[in-house]
Amino acid sequence: MNGRLTEAELTERLLAFFKDRFLSGDPGDELKADTPLLEWGILTSLNTAIVLNHITMEFGWHVPFEQVDATRFKDVASIAAMLHASQNDAAATS
Amino acid sequence: MSLHRLVIDAAKRHPGRSAVDGPLGRLTYAELDARAAALARTLAARGVRPGDRVLIWAPKSPGAVVAMQAVLRLGATYVPADDRTPLPRILKIAYDCSARAACSTGPQLAALRKELGQVVACVDLDGPHELVPGAGPDHPVAPDDCAYILYTSGSTGAPKGVSISHRNACAFVEWAVRELGATPDDRFANHAPFTFDLSVLDLYAAFAAGATVTLIPREMSYAPRQLVDFLHRERVSIWYSVPSALIHMMRDGGLLDGAPPPGLRAILFAGEPFPIAGVRALAKWTTARLLNLYGPTETNVCTYHEVTPDDLTRDRPPPIGLACCGNRVWAERADGSVAGPGEEGELVVDGPTVMLGYWGRERHTGAYRTGDIVRVLSDGSFDYVGRRDSQVKVRGHRIELGEVEAVLGTHPAVGQAAVAVLGTGMDARLAAFVTVEGTAGPLSLKKHVALRLPAYMIPDEIFFIDMLPQSYNGKVDRSALLDLAG
Repeated sequence: MNGRLTEAELTERLLAFFKDRFLSGDPGDELKADTPLLEWGILTSLNTAIVLNHITMEFGWHVPFEQVDATRFKDVASIAAMLHASQNDAAATS
Repeated sequence: MSLHRLVIDAAKRHPGRSAVDGPLGRLTYAELDARAAALARTLAARGVRPGDRVLIWAPKSPGAVVAMQAVLRLGATYVPADDRTPLPRILKIAYDCSARAACSTGPQLAALRKELGQVVACVDLDGPHELVPGAGPDHPVAPDDCAYILYTSGSTGAPKGVSISHRNACAFVEWAVRELGATPDDRFANHAPFTFDLSVLDLYAAFAAGATVTLIPREMSYAPRQLVDFLHRERVSIWYSVPSALIHMMRDGGLLDGAPPPGLRAILFAGEPFPIAGVRALAKWTTARLLNLYGPTETNVCTYHEVTPDDLTRDRPPPIGLACCGNRVWAERADGSVAGPGEEGELVVDGPTVMLGYWGRERHTGAYRTGDIVRVLSDGSFDYVGRRDSQVKVRGHRIELGEVEAVLGTHPAVGQAAVAVLGTGMDARLAAFVTVEGTAGPLSLKKHVALRLPAYMIPDEIFFIDMLPQSYNGKVDRSALLDLAG
């Protein structure tokens, strides 16, 4: 991963990506870190693939298939937490 | 001839073999048999009788497979629904099929108990259900008894239930096992959700052969690199999915960068045309058989075609092939006559895989008109040409645009709404064009749809416009809509 980011920084970056990519910039600023992505139709299966690809490209981490589940992808905060934990794991093993 | 006997028989032959496997959990045949029997006893105690409908509102999981088996063992009919299907649609389905019971878990179970608990037995999939040694319920079923109902998008704005009998499903499963030469050593990948008829092959062909079905989690279903990892690590021998998933895996998942998994021996695809360039790439990469299966939900699979070297020189997708599963299939011209080689017509199917009918309507008899236009080839097989109506497919899911438009129209800020498909194949996106009064952003509209329709019917993009373009006769001008999207 390119430089360690705080969980808050990861959350901000992901929020910006979601708004730009899936919500036409979210003009009403409706998307929050705890907005349910699955129940509200933002993270369809195809969009999940787009997010996974973004994580790989932007953060240099390939999410293992065991971690692609509804709990870790339920909202932006959860995805950021998963990414943050992966940073810590990478740091611990390097 | 019954779907649940496949598991009961396999459990006797090799109880210790894996029936269900993958990251969502593992069950041996003995475990699947025992858990299905236990849940069947619970359902029977809660009043489920032969012929009843039981809703299964659950995530794809070994537990959902157990529930399907449990319902069948009572001579009842299961109605699968993905756990992300919104509650209002679940209630519509439960009322439409007059569900006697519902199996669910977690927050979905709590919601069902609150909404339906007075009239429908709501059973926790996760138990506890008492495991009792010895044979469990195994109610005899007639071939024409309904095994399951799959709800599809309906043109009137309401979902409609396709009722499939044991005979319908078994005719397809027996053909598939024979055609694939499936053995207990096979590992079938299950990519499709259980609400999608592609899953019938994965589950029941595996059970009929005493093989293993390995479940791909929903969230992973279009995650290309993860799917490629899954294919290798789960040692898949038979893969079946919509072409979109395979194209994703080739384009973004590095599928073709490495050698194929050693055991991979058949790749099946269905649900949408597979661009020939993708088929060529697959054929170059693997020696596994490539099979194109065709059939709307109402007929299960009714034709198939195995890709040959000659097909790879075509400039269009591989043919949908010739009739299978004991069906008769022909193309009918507008005047009702049978189309000959070189001619086009509507594909018509008659035979053992044709559905019982739509639930709640008159039983279907005779041949089924698919609404698909095909061209007859010189060898009598068929090329898919297109639809004769406005039904569209996005990544294999068929969608009545009017159903999405009707739901968007119920949003308080929406004046008019029209929905169209942008792009084709794996790049197809559902786009909504709306006029709004007041403030309503994309998230508000997506949420509105997501709370009422399945995930695959949620528009990927929403365009806010001043008015819908109209043609001279006052109807929405759909080609002008596509221009608006750029």
